This record gives sequence, structure tokens and C-alpha cells, in this order.
Amino acid sequence: MNQAFLIQTAASAAAVAVLVGLAAWAKIAKPGSPLDDARARALLAEDFPGRTIDELWVAVDGKGALAKSGATALLLCELGDGYVCRQIPWAQALAASFKDGRITVNLADVGAPKAVIALTAWPPKPPPAPTDLAA
Amino acid sequence: MKALDPVTLATPFFILSIIGEIVLARLGKAKANYETKDTAVSLGMGLLSGSAGLLTAGAAAAASIWVYKYHLFNIPMTAVWAWVAVFLLEDLTYYWFHRLSHERRFWWAAHVNHHSSQHYNLSTALRQTWTGGIAGTWALWLPLAFLGFPPAMIAIQKGISLVYQYWIHTEAIRRLPRWFEAVFNTPSHHRVHHARNPRYLDRNYAGILIIWDRMFRTFQPELDEEPCRYGLVKNLGTFNIVRVAFHEWIGIAQDVVRQPRHALGYIFGPPGWSPDGSRETSATLKAEWEARQAAELPKTRVDIAA
Repeated sequence: MNQAFLIQTAASAAAVAVLVGLAAWAKIAKPGSPLDDARARALLAEDFPGRTIDELWVAVDGKGALAKSGATALLLCELGDGYVCRQIPWAQALAASFKDGRITVNLADVGAPKAVIALTAWPPKPPPAPTDLAA
Repeated sequence: MKALDPVTLATPFFILSIIGEIVLARLGKAKANYETKDTAVSLGMGLLSGSAGLLTAGAAAAASIWVYKYHLFNIPMTAVWAWVAVFLLEDLTYYWFHRLSHERRFWWAAHVNHHSSQHYNLSTALRQTWTGGIAGTWALWLPLAFLGFPPAMIAIQKGISLVYQYWIHTEAIRRLPRWFEAVFNTPSHHRVHHARNPRYLDRNYAGILIIWDRMFRTFQPELDEEPCRYGLVKNLGTFNIVRVAFHEWIGIAQDVVRQPRHALGYIFGPPGWSPDGSRETSATLKAEWEARQAAELPKTRVDIAA
């Protein structure tokens, strides 16, 4: 490898470091606030248009959400100043590990290996049986 | 003799213009969003793409020189008409290379990382492939050498095209004069290309001239009522640069190992292809979107009538 190439690469690497530092200093990421119910539904609707949401759990830190849509779980996770969505079978979501107030779902996806969502409890309590309601 | 490389010559401009875009956005004078990790991935991909390209550049250059030995016509590098011709033919070649890179998964695997940012700024332009050389798309330019364009001339024109396409990766420029938007690829046209809205998927493949998209019916103007949402249909859930570079290749390998008898479909089918149709391709996403639009239209008409 010739010296000119090494010098050019080193100079480019230094420039990259400066530009990343400048981007961090500028604080010009997309404006975002912690997710609420309406925003989570809107973001899920972008990735899963036309899907009915039966139930929705928004993360306590506002950085994600999990929704039940029929036999499917829709996952929404913050990444940087954007969001990433995936869907998995509902049974897989129910079986996700819950530790220290967070569920961790292994997505088996090279591009999105896992989803971590902070919830107060998991799995959700089943709705009361009709007889209980009558009582 | 040292060959002219437009990309190397333009590198200081790349750096200064990114600084300019960030500073203007910080001052509220231009529209641009930069997220630190996203920027690091984009620039890191760009930095290492040059080194990755070197691995196959020799083979590509050797192939071009070998094909040129059998060229049909003697095309002089000093003639103006020759530069006009190479400009048009290289740009047409780029259109088809780019279309192939979106419509067939093998080549999409090399190109996907350029679309993996949820941002659209000048750093996104530098989020370049590490595996394009291995994917062999350079072979698409060999017919130009066979026609008689000297390999150095083709390489220079490819560099000019790459530099042109850099500055259109911005939200800071809204629309350019109508005549320019009609003929050239612009920030507005290319925003559409980077958008993941179903309406905008697989549109505006142009390099420099947007006329090819108009000609081959892949043109879609940017609509004020539908702002672009950038990124992939299934956005990446990681800033790990190795995953960004190789995730689609690994996805192909996993699919082929799981169902080897459908290997050809998984490798050369459109991105999202699956034998049972359980995954979504651009075509199915667009069809679903069109069906929803059609279903909503009568409702809107009733609302207006009421």
C-alpha cells in the first residue's frame, strides 16, 4: 500500500472524526419527545397501515411500545432520533424475558437483533373472565 | 500518468459542505437533521468504502481494459462529441445499474446500506457500499469500453456522476427552477428515491438526468401533501456498521440455507420475495397502498357530498 493512500485515508479519518464531533455539538437531531399513546399509534400505523390495535403498552421511559394486533405483536423501539418497527407472533412476545423492568425480545433478525422495551410488568394480566364481571 | 479522479478532487468540497449544512441547520438557516451515531455510520461507511473498493478495482479495471482491446470504434478522448456521448451513455447505464440494484435482491444487498439511514442529509450521500465490487455491477459499464470509449474516460465520467449525486442528498434545497427539475436529478427528485412511503418506493433511479425515469416510467414527483419518510421498509435496529454493511447478504444466506430449493428466488427475486408470498416486496406494498387509497376515495366523496 503506498504512502499517499495511507496519508489520504488518515486525513479522511480525521475529517470524519471532526464532522461527527460537529454533528454532536450542533444538537440538530430530529425533535422528539417521549412516546405517548397517540404518537405510538401513529408510528405503528406508518409501518403497519390498516392494522387494528387491540391493546397498546407504551414504554415507561417513552422509548418504545408494544401492541397486540390479533395474533401478532407489533414492536416499536427508539433508535437514535428515529424508530424501528417489527412484528412477531403474539405468543413469542408473551414468552419474552422480563427483567429489571424491561422485556427483551430476540428478533432473530440481523438488521434488528433484539427489542428492549421498559414496561411496568410483563406479561399483561389476562382480562377478567365474564363471570367475574357479572359478580 | 496519474489518472484524474473527480471523487478525490471533490473530497474537500464534501467536507466543507457538510460543515456548512450542519452550521446552517444549527443557526436555523437551513433544514437538516443530523444524529450523531447515524452520521458516524454514514461517514464511516464512506471512509471504508474506498478501501473495500480497492479489493475489486483491479479486476474491474483489468476487465475494462481487456474489453477495450476489442472495441468497435475509435473514440478520441479529446473530442467534445465523445464527452457528450459518454455523458449520456454512462448516465443511461447508471439508471439501469441503479434500477437493478433496487429490483433484484443480490444487487440490493450491496446497495441497501446507502438507503439505511432514517436521515437525508449530505452525510447520507457518503453512506456508500462496501460490497458493490463483489456484486459485480461494474460489468454493466463494460459495453461502453466495447463501443470504444477509453476506460479512463468511462472512469472519469463515473466519478463526475458520483460527485453530481452528492449534493442532491439534502433537505436544505427545496425545489429548483422548473426547467432544471424537468431535465436533471435534483434534491427533490432524490428525496423521493430515498423515501419509504409506498407511493415513493422504487422511483427516480436517475444519476444526473431525470429524463431516463420519465422515459422508462419510473418518475414520481415529490408531493407536498406526502412528506418523505426516509429509510428502509424495515428500518435497521442497530448502528453497528458491520451489520449495516452486511445484513442483507446474511439475510440471503440464511434464507438459502433454510430453503435451498428456493435459492434462485431468494437471490435474484425482488427484495422481500418469498416462495409463499408471506413477505412484502415493493410491488405488494404499493398494491396494498393503492387498494387502501381506492377504498378511502369513495368514503371521501361521501363525506364531501354530505
